Amino acid sequence: MEMPMPSNTIVERVAADLRKYPPFDTLGADLLEDLASSITVSYHDDGEIIFSKGDALKASAFMVMKGAVRLFDTIDGEEVLVDMCDEGDIFGVRALVGGTNYLLCAQVAEESLVYDIPVEKIKRLIAADNGVSNFFAGEFAKSLQEMERTLTSAFSQRHQRFSQQSYSSFLEHETLEVQPVTSVMTCPPDITIREAAKIMADCNIGSILVASPANHPLGIITDTDLRKKVVAMAGAVNERPVNEIMSSPVYTITGGKTVADMVMLMVKTKLRHFCITEDGTPGSPIAGMISEHDIITSEGNNPAVIMKEIMSAEGMEQLKIERDKAETLLGVYLGQNVAVHFITSIMTEINDAIIVRSIRMALDAMEAEGMKRPSVPFCWLSLGSEGRREQLLRTDQDNAIIYRDAPPEESESCHQFYLELGRRVTGMLEGAGFVRCPAEVMASNPQWCQPLSEWKRYFHQWIATPEPKAVMHSTIFFDFRPVDGDASLAGELKKGIFAEMEKGRGFLEFFAKNALQNPPPLGFFRNFLVEKSRDHANEFDIKSRAMMPLADAARVLAYELRIPDFLSTVERFQKIAVLDPPLKDLALEAASAYDFLIRLRAENGLEQVSSGRYIKPESLNKLDRQMLRNVFSTIGHIQQTLNMRFQLDYIRD
Amino acid sequence: MTDILLRQYARMRCHRGGLPDTVCRYVKGMGTGPASRASLQTARFVVFDTETTGFDLQNDRVISIGAVALEGSAITIADSFEVLVRQPGVGQKESVSVHGLLKKDIASGVSERDGVTSFLDYIGNSILVAQHASFDVAMLNRLLWELFRIRLFNGVVDTASLAKRLEKGPYHNLAHKAGEYRLDHLCQRYGIRLHDRHTSAGDAYLTAQLLQRLLAKGRTAGITTVGSLLMQ
Repeated sequence: MEMPMPSNTIVERVAADLRKYPPFDTLGADLLEDLASSITVSYHDDGEIIFSKGDALKASAFMVMKGAVRLFDTIDGEEVLVDMCDEGDIFGVRALVGGTNYLLCAQVAEESLVYDIPVEKIKRLIAADNGVSNFFAGEFAKSLQEMERTLTSAFSQRHQRFSQQSYSSFLEHETLEVQPVTSVMTCPPDITIREAAKIMADCNIGSILVASPANHPLGIITDTDLRKKVVAMAGAVNERPVNEIMSSPVYTITGGKTVADMVMLMVKTKLRHFCITEDGTPGSPIAGMISEHDIITSEGNNPAVIMKEIMSAEGMEQLKIERDKAETLLGVYLGQNVAVHFITSIMTEINDAIIVRSIRMALDAMEAEGMKRPSVPFCWLSLGSEGRREQLLRTDQDNAIIYRDAPPEESESCHQFYLELGRRVTGMLEGAGFVRCPAEVMASNPQWCQPLSEWKRYFHQWIATPEPKAVMHSTIFFDFRPVDGDASLAGELKKGIFAEMEKGRGFLEFFAKNALQNPPPLGFFRNFLVEKSRDHANEFDIKSRAMMPLADAARVLAYELRIPDFLSTVERFQKIAVLDPPLKDLALEAASAYDFLIRLRAENGLEQVSSGRYIKPESLNKLDRQMLRNVFSTIGHIQQTLNMRFQLDYIRD
Repeated sequence: MTDILLRQYARMRCHRGGLPDTVCRYVKGMGTGPASRASLQTARFVVFDTETTGFDLQNDRVISIGAVALEGSAITIADSFEVLVRQPGVGQKESVSVHGLLKKDIASGVSERDGVTSFLDYIGNSILVAQHASFDVAMLNRLLWELFRIRLFNGVVDTASLAKRLEKGPYHNLAHKAGEYRLDHLCQRYGIRLHDRHTSAGDAYLTAQLLQRLLAKGRTAGITTVGSLLMQ
């Protein structure tokens, strides 16, 4: 019998149901209808088993449309609930990672209407649609395709998130117009590369437009072109005409673009420079130029101005004002879906500038008061999350001073001087809104304002005779980063730590064990899901349950692999992926998981005007819940890896 | 008995080339219908609904047929069916606006003959299911009789009667509260979300979801074979 065309009415009905939930809520109409017509609708009574652990995989994955399905494992004859799926949840997707058998049992907890979705269909959608591939990118699809976590994918994910939430206060910034640079530097196509480079250097600009005699844009030369193309060319290239190395054509647009437009365009084209012409085509005269820098620093959200203000600030009141501005800026960026790594680096720059400015002001004041500056240099260290460049919101201060060992006769006065510096700077930072560290891990504490030799001794103690509690308290010190002063002191300290570690592996094991101290969050989330129907939702500590386990793991692996740089958790995982190929997939997964968590925490913090550390699970939308669930399983894998790598089962106390 | 005679008569005419291929395929297929003992898990159901110009079996006409198939207990969206039947002169009557069909929709439909033969092709020997099935079956039968001197030979399940049977027992004969077994009430009772009523395909999809629940309920009452469902 020939299959007739399926009923439009019914296909549309099913499509409307699918559209309610991610990842299908952003699918185009054609893909969605095609998907809808491949669905089989099944109804299951309470207690029915949809599949059992060990069963061969079915050809379909499942989406709960009504009711609830529990996924459980059987361990030593005991059922362990792993997840509870309700409306809009997808389960049974193991086939996507190429498994052959189910690892869990799916049982209907509450009579359910389930859409059976052919796995082949999902695979094709993953290949065809960004939203769907992002959705499945987390944990299950990693073997299907290497996920390049580009700005684009991050963006589309964010776009999805924000369409569901009201961020009205941020959205109004999206309509701000980006002011283009109208006095654009141009050059004719036949001048030499040397001349063009000279113009750029003289005018201190990062790019120059190559224009025709009619002032139509022909191409653009940027710093990058000079660095990459010129270096790659053979012979005496400096005398060659610029049109040989220019990027052409230039992306042309009309004026009047908003921040949102430009961010979109930047993400879509992956370009950094846009030329404004009179009619928006390359065939009309140049009217201006917008670079990535202009977009990011457009009016109202201008970190460059904030930085400038900070560097010329005369007192802590002004520092506080600027830091408040930065916080507003943060909100705008989050609202505009700017990549997290970009935001964190700007916030770190701003925080660092505030610290540097505070130090300068303190030193000036001390000098004015007649205090004599020691002959040996110092270095200001940021510790913990600030040390990892991950502080988006103002959290506690964690800092220290390290200075070069002074001759014995000077050592006491030197200590007193830097301690006074520490007191003044931490005081100013407090005034700027950075809360004091409750554990007094600050440069104002004599214990943490010490010469290099003493710092080496501290680390020697932590490393040579590790003791669980001491290790736990010392982790923030292992994330130190030089912010101001003589950075070579920090480098020497790091070398000293590596040398200490060479003496025995025992410490890394303790370190790794500490990384497992934070209980696996899977259980917590599971409870949340199970409990939510009983109206019992606790706040969830995203910092200790999700971020710390990842940051701890990254730190252990970074020290094990002797990574000398002062990196963020995301950067550490990225570096780990390069240095340790077997860990590549997991490390990249962890990097994007951490990225997601930073953003979630920042958004939450801004919304509640808090550190963002505690989130209410029920306030999460479906996508965040799904993402968080993936994050937790990534944490589980990372912890398993540490456990095996350091054979921690043998040293469990 | 009449069914068997009518089928023989139809086959005879098929033999002589007096009926279209699609109709003959349908008639022939009926010989291999699901056995009484066959499990409901393997049976194919076609849940359908017709929209008509009114409720007069003699004078009103079919203007659309919508249907969706269930295999075992799962609704296969790809295996669904929808046809608009062109009815010249229709458009003024009240029921047309009730059904939400515009005059031009009806004018753009297929002929009664094409509509009903493609439906025969689609249903084959499946078990037919409809809410208040007797009306829809009678409408189609009159059409089939006019056109081909045949009628529907399939086993038929009425979801309203099945619900009544499962809720009140098979021998419950007392008149029930008016409207208690209307489709919207049944959907409400069985937790089915209502949506686009008043198109035949939309109603067929709702009825199919109702059938899923009734079959599940029936399983616990021991209704597991085609015979026990059709009370053969």
